[in-house]
Amino acid sequence: MSQYQILNKERHRRLRIRTGFGAALGDAVMCVMTYPMEFRDIQSCYPILFTKDPNTGGFFAAAVLGLEADQNLFLQGDRWDASYVPTMVQRQPFLIATGGKGDDKPPVVSLDPDHPRVSQDEGEALFDSEGKPSEFLQQKIGLLEKLHRGLQHGSGFIDTLLQHQLLVQVVLDLAFADGGKKTLQGFYCIAEERLYQLKGDALESLNQAGYLQPVFMAVASLSRVRDLIERRNRLRV
Amino acid sequence: MGGGSAGWLSAGVIAAEHRIDPQARQPIEVLLIESPDVPTIGVGEGTWPSMRETLRRIGLSETDFIRECDASFKQGTFFRNWQTGAGDTYSHPFTIPTGYAETNLAPHWLALTDAPQFADAVTPQTALFADCLAPKQITTPEYAFVVNYGYHLDAGKFAELLRRHCTKQLGVKHIMANVSRINAAENGDIRSVTTDRAGEIAGDLFIDCTGTSSLLLGEHFKIPFQSRQAHLFNDTALAAQVPYAEEDRAIQSCTRSTAQTAGWIWDIGLPTRRGTGHVYSSAHISEDEAAAQLLAYIRGIAGEKAAGSVVPRKIRFQPGHRREFWHRNCVAIGMSSGFIEPLEASALVMIELAAGMIAEQLPPTREIMDIVARRYNRKFSRHWNQIIEFLKLHYVLSARNDSPYWQDNRAAASIPEELSERLLLWRYRSPWHQDAGAVDDLFPTASYQYILYGMRFETVPHQTFSHRQQQRQASELFRRNAARAAQLKQALPGNRELLDKVREFGFQKL
Repeated sequence: MSQYQILNKERHRRLRIRTGFGAALGDAVMCVMTYPMEFRDIQSCYPILFTKDPNTGGFFAAAVLGLEADQNLFLQGDRWDASYVPTMVQRQPFLIATGGKGDDKPPVVSLDPDHPRVSQDEGEALFDSEGKPSEFLQQKIGLLEKLHRGLQHGSGFIDTLLQHQLLVQVVLDLAFADGGKKTLQGFYCIAEERLYQLKGDALESLNQAGYLQPVFMAVASLSRVRDLIERRNRLRV
Repeated sequence: MGGGSAGWLSAGVIAAEHRIDPQARQPIEVLLIESPDVPTIGVGEGTWPSMRETLRRIGLSETDFIRECDASFKQGTFFRNWQTGAGDTYSHPFTIPTGYAETNLAPHWLALTDAPQFADAVTPQTALFADCLAPKQITTPEYAFVVNYGYHLDAGKFAELLRRHCTKQLGVKHIMANVSRINAAENGDIRSVTTDRAGEIAGDLFIDCTGTSSLLLGEHFKIPFQSRQAHLFNDTALAAQVPYAEEDRAIQSCTRSTAQTAGWIWDIGLPTRRGTGHVYSSAHISEDEAAAQLLAYIRGIAGEKAAGSVVPRKIRFQPGHRREFWHRNCVAIGMSSGFIEPLEASALVMIELAAGMIAEQLPPTREIMDIVARRYNRKFSRHWNQIIEFLKLHYVLSARNDSPYWQDNRAAASIPEELSERLLLWRYRSPWHQDAGAVDDLFPTASYQYILYGMRFETVPHQTFSHRQQQRQASELFRRNAARAAQLKQALPGNRELLDKVREFGFQKL
């Protein structure tokens, strides 16, 4: 696991960040985490499925980018072929770090010094000659703040879904144009039958928490699976 | 009546099946009367995989169960010194052989030269025993598995959890009182019981979970006890709890059963301690000698200091059961119905089966109760006979000659007739589907294979046409099994690692 360092003007003064996209920059991933406030943007390009953290067994929402490990069907050389790039990709190699449970310390910007985007001589500078944050870094901080707000807002999302029994296991049996077949396991989606049976109070509480719209966004996003299959078909031609 | 594992499991299963339903025409009420003065016996720390379904059925979360009962995962039994006494080992895992429904691998395994042990050849599960690996991952939903499993648990804490769950979630009424009198109805049924501090309690069906005292079925109805000691000699246990040598010592994935000169020692790994005990035949060994063997074993697994600090608790029992179990409006569950040594951990599963059948077949009228009772008695007589036969199998296959105990165990007169017949048959044909007596047999035919071939029983394979036809399929199954074993060893965490995660994060329900 990466060791994140709190961003420090002195320590990280000379670091530069490689921009753009590419497998060598760590973008060849099958899925990335997302959060309810981002679902509207995500669903315009990617399916949103739920999966479990192998370390804790806890659920998280993920934007699915590929159909096997280390496969990102939106990555074409150094180009990201979609109108929206997930925050969890854009934020690399930074992370917004907060204390553990019950810790009220303000979030701090951290970075993974071993991430392939981190360089000594190539890419965007973090600080200018006077040691002030560069425009690039300011943009990234803005992005991280958005991410932080999104994670805070979404912190009760999974528990709410489980409480209303709105998650259901889904096994995707995929067939490709070249005759290939693939079964994707370990994913969950919104239980639509349950969703359409929800009554007044339940719907109201979901809506007040800001979770009702994301639930429907997740439902809508499933049509994007077809796009993944088409991308996979083109890949083999 | 009675508040141990038998009482609370029965109450839970029955109450869960007949959950208070305002629409029900005949809502039922479940009351459990527990004596504040009688301690529960608190052994029976191993379950079968069936316990997962039982817990799910009564609505307990697996996470709560594991956290509160100090439970760990059990994937079978590992036997040592049963065959020759010279360090021989074999396993009886909870997973049936790969492809068992279509292919009987036993004759193919018998024909192999230089074969791995039977269980290792036919199931990937035993490969997990050596490394103390868990049967699932933290991402596996509760009660689901990667490989089949039951539990080891703290019986005292289990009864406690069941009590809380039954009274708080399932509407079981708990009455702490001593029963002073049993009042008969005119037709001979039990009409009510009189208690010292809760007055008279009437009921339609009385479930006797009063342990070996069998207050209702044995004392009141005088249903005779049938000793089975002619087949199974063990009648005494010395139980001892042993601390781990180090706190983070790996937790075994199976019960370890190590044969001695006049019995065997169990060894069960819980997260907090090991539960051990020596169960033996008092006619074949003195208590002092039996205790010395237990202490020598404990010294071996936990060191001199641990052996010096343990105080074994002695439990005497008469191996056998009541002649019938359901009489009039009274049915005995647990030790009040019978008890046999815990060699295959059959005590808790018999309680689950009894409670399950009563819950499903609960007679809505007195008129049909006698019919249900007759069917129940037939079924449970069959279960007891099979337990006795299956346990006896472990002893008759032994080649140990180092004590009269083992020789006496092979004496023809001590072997149930049916078992002798089967053993003769199995010299020419390995057991498979045709050997099943009924669909609800307690021990599946695969279990007989594990014991027979684990103990190096020799079947002269009879080469039929279908056998020759299936040779390629069999090699494929052996190969697939070895590959699966290697894959599982990579993928599955250690027992302790997974139990720590359950403590911290819990399993998801889906």
